[in-house]
Amino acid sequence: MAEFTLPPNSRIDKHAGKHHAAAAGATRPRTFRVYRFDPASGQRPRVDSYELDMATCGPMVLDALLKIKNEVDPTLSLRRSCREGICGSCAMNINGVNTLACTQSCADLGGGEVRIYPLPHLPVVKDLVADLSNFYAQYAAVKPWLQARTPVSPDRERLQSKEDQEKIDRPSACILCACCSTSCPSYWWNGDRYLGPAALLAAYRWIVDSRDEATGERLDALNDPFRLYRCHTIMNCTEACPKDLNPARAIADIKRMMLERTH
Amino acid sequence: MQDRPLSPHLGIYRFMYTMALSILHRITGLWMALGLAVLVGWLCSAAAGESDYARATSLLGSACGRILLLLWLAAFCYHFVNGLRHLAWDAGVGLERRAARISGRIALAVALIGFLAAACLLFCRHLGSP
Repeated sequence: MAEFTLPPNSRIDKHAGKHHAAAAGATRPRTFRVYRFDPASGQRPRVDSYELDMATCGPMVLDALLKIKNEVDPTLSLRRSCREGICGSCAMNINGVNTLACTQSCADLGGGEVRIYPLPHLPVVKDLVADLSNFYAQYAAVKPWLQARTPVSPDRERLQSKEDQEKIDRPSACILCACCSTSCPSYWWNGDRYLGPAALLAAYRWIVDSRDEATGERLDALNDPFRLYRCHTIMNCTEACPKDLNPARAIADIKRMMLERTH
Repeated sequence: MQDRPLSPHLGIYRFMYTMALSILHRITGLWMALGLAVLVGWLCSAAAGESDYARATSLLGSACGRILLLLWLAAFCYHFVNGLRHLAWDAGVGLERRAARISGRIALAVALIGFLAAACLLFCRHLGSP
């Protein structure tokens, strides 16, 4: 059921935020307001503000966060790895929209403060690190691997045409960063039963794969008022995807396949 | 393990056209469902007799009633046009980011024009007659 407000332990303590002023002589100061939560403190989450000198900071939001962690406040926790938009670790909410910190340039955010929160509506482990267990379980639930029963000689590959490959080309580019699923209001309210755009995009990728022979079973598994049909085509997922993929289209296509096979 | 807080969602997410038009579709749908009850009430009054019908009609014709009727008209216009947008999506048309942005603006504009045209037609004609 939809809970529009945060539970009491999750509400941000507006008076607890700490301010870290820029070093003296900063030429291009910019403020970053970052969500903080420390499970060891027993206190509610807060928002700390950090003033950075952009003249000595790299261009991306991830550069700014690492500058904070390295030079200002080493207690800040965040996930990051590849710093080039392929691992999906540094997905977070930046100025109200989910995206990857490593591919989001600070300059593209216009002027003013930069507000950084963890991915929305997830349990927070610490600071910007959210618990994605449910998200991964949902990915596993769509059986994201090739299911084929037709035997193929061991010295041969399962071939497919160029056109068939193109169908799965884009959906395969998903990096499972969870930007789309955690941008979806439907997923916020029903994330325990609705699979969410990322898992459904993965399901779609295997449904349309010409080599996969479990298409019927895959559609059966999705034919459920919640798992698939909690998508109301809000389109937040497609707007948020940092890889420019289109989960909304994938879900609409699955819905149409459901309809077509009953006729 | 201490209770983990839930990360902020509705309060921090940018209120984009996607969510705005979607929630507006729901609100107008709910509002029209309420309007349906009023419509049925009005029809019942017609079946109940002349005096009941006259009372119901004068109630709906009052200033308050007219404002409500206008709101129902506006809700109908938006819900209808945005419903067509949803039909197109379900048919697989217009699901690209750019197309969805453009169709959202068109839906709002067409709904507004339709509402103004219908409101003028209904209310101006009514004002003209005694």
